Parts: sequence; structure tokens; C-alpha cells
Amino acid sequence: MYKRLIYLLLLVQVSCIDPYEVTVAEGPQILTIEGTITSAAGPHTVRLTRGATYGSVFEGLIRPVTGATVIVRDELGNVTYLSENLENRGDYQSPASFSAIVGRSYTLQIQLTDGKVYSSFPEKVNNVPPIRNLTYQSERIPVEGEINDASGVSFIVDIDDPAEENNFYFWRNSPATYVLETRPDLYVDRETMSPAPKDCCAVCYKSETTGNSSFFIANDDNFNGLSTRIKAGFILDDGLRFVNTYRVDLRQLSISAEAYRFLRLVKQQTEISGSVFDPPPANIRGNMISLDNPDEVVLGYFIAAGETSQRVYINGAELDFRQNVGIIADDCRQVEGSVFDPPVDWDPGA
Amino acid sequence: MRRNLLLLFLFVSQLGFAQTPVKKEVVGRDVGQLKGLKISGRIIDEITGEALVGATVTVTETNLNMITDNNGTFELTLDRAEYNLQFRYVGYETIDYPIVAVGDGRISIKMLQEDFQLDDVVIFGRDPEKNIRSTDMGAITLSMNTIKELPPFLGEVDIIRSMATLPGVSQVGEASAGLNVRGGGADQNLIQFLGAPIYNPTHLFGLFTSFNADVVNDVTLYKSVIPSRYGGRGSSILDIVPKAGSVSKWGADVMLSNVSGKLSINGPIVKDKVSILGGIRGSYINWFLHAMSNPDLKNSNTNFYDGNLIISAPISDKNEFTYSFYRSYDDFSFASDTTVSWANTSHSLQWKSVLSEKLSLEALGYYTQYDYSIFNRSGINDFDLNSGIQDYGAKLFMSYQFSETNKVSFGGDFKQMKLQPGELIPTGPDEGVLPDKVQDEYGRESGLYFQQEFELGEKFGMSYGLRYDMYQYLGPRIVRDYAENQPISDGTAIGETSYGDGEQIANYNGLGPRGSLRYSFSKNSSIKVGYNRMYQFIHLISNTATIAPTDIWKLSDAFLEPQIVDQYSLGYYNNFKGNIFETSIEVYYKDIQNVVEYKDGANLIMQNHIETELVPAQGKAYGVELYVKKNLGRLTGWISYTYSRSLRRVLTPYEEEIINGGDWYPSNYDKPNEFSVIGNYKVSTNLSVSATFGYSTGRPITYPEAKFNYSGNSLAYFNRRNEQRLPDFHRLDLAVNFKLNGEGRFFDGDWTFSIINVYGRKNPFSLFFVDEFGSPPQAMRLAILGVPLPSISYAIKF
Repeated sequence: MYKRLIYLLLLVQVSCIDPYEVTVAEGPQILTIEGTITSAAGPHTVRLTRGATYGSVFEGLIRPVTGATVIVRDELGNVTYLSENLENRGDYQSPASFSAIVGRSYTLQIQLTDGKVYSSFPEKVNNVPPIRNLTYQSERIPVEGEINDASGVSFIVDIDDPAEENNFYFWRNSPATYVLETRPDLYVDRETMSPAPKDCCAVCYKSETTGNSSFFIANDDNFNGLSTRIKAGFILDDGLRFVNTYRVDLRQLSISAEAYRFLRLVKQQTEISGSVFDPPPANIRGNMISLDNPDEVVLGYFIAAGETSQRVYINGAELDFRQNVGIIADDCRQVEGSVFDPPVDWDPGA
Repeated sequence: MRRNLLLLFLFVSQLGFAQTPVKKEVVGRDVGQLKGLKISGRIIDEITGEALVGATVTVTETNLNMITDNNGTFELTLDRAEYNLQFRYVGYETIDYPIVAVGDGRISIKMLQEDFQLDDVVIFGRDPEKNIRSTDMGAITLSMNTIKELPPFLGEVDIIRSMATLPGVSQVGEASAGLNVRGGGADQNLIQFLGAPIYNPTHLFGLFTSFNADVVNDVTLYKSVIPSRYGGRGSSILDIVPKAGSVSKWGADVMLSNVSGKLSINGPIVKDKVSILGGIRGSYINWFLHAMSNPDLKNSNTNFYDGNLIISAPISDKNEFTYSFYRSYDDFSFASDTTVSWANTSHSLQWKSVLSEKLSLEALGYYTQYDYSIFNRSGINDFDLNSGIQDYGAKLFMSYQFSETNKVSFGGDFKQMKLQPGELIPTGPDEGVLPDKVQDEYGRESGLYFQQEFELGEKFGMSYGLRYDMYQYLGPRIVRDYAENQPISDGTAIGETSYGDGEQIANYNGLGPRGSLRYSFSKNSSIKVGYNRMYQFIHLISNTATIAPTDIWKLSDAFLEPQIVDQYSLGYYNNFKGNIFETSIEVYYKDIQNVVEYKDGANLIMQNHIETELVPAQGKAYGVELYVKKNLGRLTGWISYTYSRSLRRVLTPYEEEIINGGDWYPSNYDKPNEFSVIGNYKVSTNLSVSATFGYSTGRPITYPEAKFNYSGNSLAYFNRRNEQRLPDFHRLDLAVNFKLNGEGRFFDGDWTFSIINVYGRKNPFSLFFVDEFGSPPQAMRLAILGVPLPSISYAIKF
């Protein structure tokens, strides 16, 4: 909220925000875990990486941790092995048949190739209230220094919060698919620089993963037991997504109080604006520990959650505000992640 | 020709020397007494009728100096003879007053405020030698006339910002209103306006101070050896005394600048008996906002104003009543959906009375209220979040003057506090938000005190005092119980205890001694040593760097013990060249107990169990302050340099609460080197130039130790707090004041042009670490004043 206060200072054209060189000591390469298992169908993924030095330039790459043995164990002693995805090293996936069971607690255990063992604290899978209704609307975001507003589509969920328990919500987007319209007739040959219209194809279906950079979380302190509406997602309009039809599943996860606290701190850090109202930087502690050396810092969080989701088809023509249409002067199949045939379950009329 | 010139010269010199024969006032009833004649008197402002406290009376023949007391009175013991009395008071014209003392008697002196058309400016220190002779340490009074000589910020002279140019006083950054006095937090200062505490003295989130300079007489800051009549805050007292209106004629002040305007009117309601002073100040910054192309700004709105009403009734020489009403209001609405507003309101009524020649009384009652709210009108789950503080209290101060060099004061005070930490009220049509209210808090603070100031012979002076502070934390309240020997957290709560209305939940009492000893080497130099202990029962729970409407004030309770501050100080004072130059060196060491620190990622808003988010810390601060001031002449001003440290340490039995491994680490406002130069040069009778230069070490910040990825974001891993620093701060401000002597009232005013940050340094207010799409994660710098900022104002007086 206070991010916008800075504009007031910018108003008198006196304030400014610019990059600043700092020398940061070389940081330790800290093991980081990002994993979520839910009650929805698998596969579920746990990603292992090693952090790097924080720098004003791109110093040090965050590297995947490969070759680890990763298991999820429930309170009854059932063990599920997660195997590494060889196409995307560092990602460890459960079998597609695995889904977490509501009411049970799960522990993530990891053994690295050097023999070190790490474990999470147990995470209990909580029941998740259903999404009663999902609506969307266009939203405009003024951008400093730009004449045109940025915009996008925000999602609002209606939920009936259960009164008897303290609920913590986390909303995520599934991979999305949309109708991509391009202009093959405007194609220009790159070598001759002369027009070379193509006959095909102007309409494709593009799949993408988006909407992960903001965190939509809530706890029910202010609406326990009520029917409420909450903003649960936002997808930026890049001039292509909402030209025709956009499909996404909004996933609603019920997480633990500790996971909520972790995500709140992550969210807080991503929203820092440098203003006088910023909270001081916080040490974001996760739920993973080293069993060999209790003093070793392990970052990230292993979330076990109940999940429900709702599919939505957004008809771009119905939006109040859209960006100017972006023009891709080529065969739409040339765009990464884009195919000519619709997905088998594509059904905007549903 | 030459001869003529000589004659002319002689003639002119004759004119110059041809004084009108001085009429010597014969004082006293002549009963033939030769020695021990008691001549008493009172000094008042000729225009306002206000008593002038701390004015100097000098008997030129005997070199005897006296200072007027709280009622502006003095008493001399003289032999039967002719004398020349000289009356001096800062900002007033010195009066030479010849008398013939023939018996016990009384005189009445009226002094006129010095007009600033004089070439020489005298700056503060009501009595030129007071800094040497008194036992006060670390007490500085700035008269409004002094503050007005500093370069203004956006056309406004700023009382609080001016304080930060003094040694040992600093601010976190350019948009923060809080003062950090000798390593203390912003909440450790008691800011009072005619005795009533003011909780948020800011406009526009700290860009302006919410006190109108035109209704303020003077401001006194006590930063060490705080007199025992003050208590309740750890680091300093900032006592703002309003002006009184004139009892003889009506007048007005008007000022317009590019962002704000103010008007004050004063005059007699009952001639020579009751005066009124009303002042109002408001902003029209909205015009600028709406003219912006930035859509967020275009739709933003901000309003602020402050108003004062002061009724002063010097009904007799012995009794004076003053009533003051003060209100400041701010709101700021972001784009369309969220409005933040805050307001201070205070009423105070003061009665000053001279009960006898030796005994005087000052009684004060006040009510003060601070409200702050956040209104959400986003269309989804609209709500209002209201918070506030209400205090009422009374003070009694008595002073008894045994002799010129022996004075005793004593009294007591009482304050009842009610804090509303937050109430959430749903306002939308859909019922998606639950109303919620954090429990109100009730506390009572009272104090009894005693202080004696006396001189032991020629060389020694001493002041000692004792203050007994009593504090009760009261119901109604439901308090959680926590398991013993475990950190306080939601997980260790084991039950609740309910307390009834007015029932005592916790209480703390403490004895706060204060004392100072002065040894004079000569009339112009002295050394002083002092000690004081202060208790503070209210804490500002803020994890931001300024006083903000999102802050939470919290009373001491069973979990949060009062802050206790012990301060030891030593100073050497030397004046040169007939008090034209004043110099001092002071060193201090401070020990602070029970400062509040936050657990990592503390959640403070609408927090019913705030004890779970906090950890007690220890603090220590020490420093040395050098100060040189030039009081008189065409060039006046001061230079101050401070080396100081302010450190914190969190050591608890529970490992998860320990910060930085239990080591001492710099507080948020630890700025070891601070240097400022203030200068004002009178070029001619109607033109003056002033400049302020400030330098300080950058404040501590926390750098990330590493980065890691989570959910597509590159995040920073922070571990040890405050181990790095921002780049150094330095800034030069300049102002030119031009007095117009035009035809007619409207053209007879003051133009002030000022430039803040003359060489446009981008002093970072903060560095922060962001990971924006399309670029590597990096440090960003926010400079609040990144370019030279000019302003212009025009002030007229009727």
C-alpha cells in the first residue's frame, strides 16, 4: 500500500529510485527446498537448489541439486519416493498416483550425494473449503513514468470459511492455455528483409506457466466462519493473453499456520519498496533442518496442503480494459509452447 | 571647506552624544535605611504582557547578575545609592534603567521584542552566561526567532527538524519526523505543547512538522539531567511553549508558499487583561497532485491543516491563565482505494501564580487525543481500521526561592491513559469481513518530585532532584498466561486470566534520581557532571523507521517492562569574547533497559497478543559532543560535531529469540559521525543569507547474505541485523531572506527563497533488494530528496 506513497515524493519530482552498487560478501551456497504436496492428483514436485551470493550484478547462479534421495513419509510410516526429473534436474517428482490424504501429517526427507540428511518438520494436510464461485475482472495498474496503465485480470473467489477451525489459504495458478492469434500474412523474411506472407497459421493454442511471482495468501482471522470474497490471483495482460480466450485453473490450498507465516514473509520481501514504511528485512526461516548439523541453515519450505481448484475460461472481449493487441508477424506455431490443435479438454462453452 | 567639514563633524558628533538627560527613577519609600534595601520587580513583554522568564538583570556598578524566575520577577538587595540596572533577554532590546535606591520598593519593566531590522542578531540562550553558570546540562532553548533564521523546507520553518542540527540530536532520514536523542528511539522523546503530550507531530508522513511556527514562542529540549518535574520518557523532553497574543492591539501574520499557507491573528479581547491568538495553516498541495500525469497521483488526495487557539489572561501581576487548543489533521488517499488519516487534538489550561515573594505555583490540566485510521474502499471487503490514544492529566509545580542562589521546587503529576490499538469495522455492503477489536489498554502514571538548586560559594553550584514514578496497568482486560520457562508464543499459551474494570494487572514503581554539579573556573568557564534515571511506560511498537499511522503504541504490561534509562554526563563549557562565542564539550554514557525489539517477521497490526512478537533488548549509547556557537554579530550560527554510538543486544534464555548471536549490534539510528554547520549572515538591514550543512555516517542496514529461489522469485536471505551501512549523508541548504520596504502593508513583507539540497546529492534514505522480472536481483537506492528543491514564500505582518 505504502509503495504508492513514494509517488507523492516523486510528485515534487525530488525523489528517485535507482540501482545502487553494493559489495556483498560472498554468500554461502545454502540448500533451498521448494516443495508442495497436496490432496490433488500427482505428480507433486519438490525442487532442490543451492543459493548463491546476492549481488547487484548476476553473480553466482542458483544451481539445482541433483542425485539426491527424496522421500515423503506420512505419520503411518508409508514412504513415497520422489524421483528426479531428468529433463529438469533438481526437480523430484512423486508418482502420478500419489496424493496427500487430508488429516495426515507428512515429513520430507532428503539425503544428498555427500551423505548429509535433511528433514522437514511434520506438516499436516488440512481440509480445504471449496471455491463457491470464481469471478474475474480487469484491473488497471498505473506505472510510474508510463503514460499507459499496465493491466491484467484479477481473480476473486467466494468461499464459505469453516467456523470451527483456523484456516490459512494459498492460491496458485495451474499452467494456463490460451488462444494465440498471430499474423503470418505480415511475415518478413529475415535475410532479404522483404515481405514473405505465410499461409498458415493464424490461430494456435499456447500453454504457459504464469502468475507465480505474486503471492496470494489469507488467514481467516477477519472472516472466520463467514462467506467472503478474496482476491486470489492476478495475471498480467501482455497484449496476447486476453485477445481471445484464456484458460487457467485456480488452485486453492489450505496450508498450515507455519507455512502461512513463511509465505507471508516471502510475500513481504517481494513487496518491499524502500519507503519509510517498509518493515525491516526478516530472516525467513523455513521448516527444514539438517539432521547432521543443527546449526546449518536450510532455506525454503515443504508444504503439505489440501487442494481444490476451479477452472475458468476468460473471454477477452468481455474485459473492461485490455492492452493494445501485440502483433507477432509469423506462423503462430513458431511461438514457444504453442500448437495448432486445441487441448483435448478445451471446452470454453462449459 | 575643511573647516566647515570639521564643524559639521563636530556638530554631528554633538548630536550623537547629546543624550536626553536621563531621568533616574527613585525607587522605594525613604525611611532612612542605608543598607539591605530590597528592590523587587517584574519584567513583562510590552506588547503581550507576558512575563519574561529567565531574563537577566545586571547591576552595572556591582556586577551582580540576577535571573528572573518563572513569573518574570526578580529581587535585588542593594545599598542606598544610584545604580544603573541593565535588563537583557534574548530577542528583546536591552534596557538600561538608572535608579536611585532609597528604600524597599518595586519596579515594573516592560521590554520590547527586538525588531529584526537590526543589523545584529542575537541567537538563543536567554541569558548569555546561563550555559556557564547554571547547573543545567544538555538543555537547549531555541527561540522562534532563531529557528526562523534557518533555511526553510518548502517554505516552512520546521521546529523539529531544527532540533536535529543540535549536537546529539539526529533523524533517521529526510522523511521521518522522529528525533533520536543521544541514541534513543523516537518514542523516547516527550513532545509537549503547553504541557499536553503530542503523539504524532507530523504532516505528510514526516515531510513537515505539525506545529505552526507563528504561534510558538520557544522550544526547549532537555537531553540530559532532565529536571525532575519531567518524567515518563527515556531520552528527552521537547517542551513547546506557545506565544501569547497582544493585550494592547490587534495584529496578524500571513504567509504563503508554493505548497502551504498560514494565517494567525492576535489581539486583546479585554484590553490589557485577556488576549487571543488564533492560527491556522493548511496545504494546497492537492492542486499539484491533480496536475500530475501519473494516474496514481492524479487520483490521490492529501489534506493537512493545523490550528491553534491560545487565550492568555495575565489578569494581574500575580496571576496568569493560559488556555491552549491545538489540532492537527492529515489524510492521504492513495489512488482510489485506501485513505490513511491521523489527527492530534489537545486542550490545556495553565494557571501561574505568585503566592508570595518566594513561593510560586504553576498548575496545569490537559486532555490530548491522537487518532489514526486506515479506510479501505477497494470495493472488496471494505473496512475502517481505527486506533487512538486519549490521555488526560494534571500537573502541579511549586517553586520556593530561599534566596537568590537557593531554590527548591516540588510537585506532582498524574496521567490517565487509554489506548485503542485497533478496531476493524466492516463498511462494505457484502459481509465478508468480521468486525474485530484489539483490547483497549488502560494505564495510570503518576509522579512526585522534588528538586533543589543552590550554590556553594563562588565556585560550586549543585542541583539534585528525585522523582518517584508510579505506574499501574489496569483492566478491564483478558490476559493470556504462558507456560513458564518457555519463550512467549502462541504455542506456549496455557490459559487466560480476566481482569475487571479498573483492576490492577501490573504495576511498576521507580525512583529516578537526577543530579548535577557545576564547578566554575571563572565567569566564562565551568565544568559540570550529571546523572539521571528515567522511566518510560509507553512503547512505540513500530518496525518502520519513522512515526507512522501504522505504528502501535503499547503500554507496559506484565510482559513488557518499563524502559529504564540511566545517563551519566560530563561537560566543559567556555564562553569567549564577552559571550559572543559559546563552546562546549559534553560526553555521555547511557544504559537502556527493556528496549523493544521484534522477532523476525513480527506481525503487529491487529495483534491481540503482541507479546508473542516482541523480545526485550538492552541498549547502550555513548558519545562526545562538540559545540561552538556565535551568538552575536552580522554572522551568527553554530557548528556541532558528535561522535556517538547506539547499540542493542538481545540475550534471552531461548535460542530462537536471540538476535545476532547475542552480540551488541547497531540500532537503526546509530550514526557515529555527525557534523553540522548553521550560519546566518546579515548582508544589510533587509537582506540576510542562511545556510545549513549536515554530514553524517550512513545509518545501519541489513544486507542479504545470500540469495535463493522460491516460487519463481529470487529472494534474499538475511541473517545478522544492521551489519552494513548506507552511504554517508551530506546536504547543503541555502536561503535568502529579503525584506521588502514597499508602499502599503501588502508590499511590506518578507520574501524567502530557499534551496534544499543545493548540489543535488542523492542521499539514500534506504537501500533495498529487489528481484524484478527481466533483471538480476539487485540493490536499489531510494533518495527522498534527490535533486535541489527550491521554494519561495512571502510573509506579511499587520
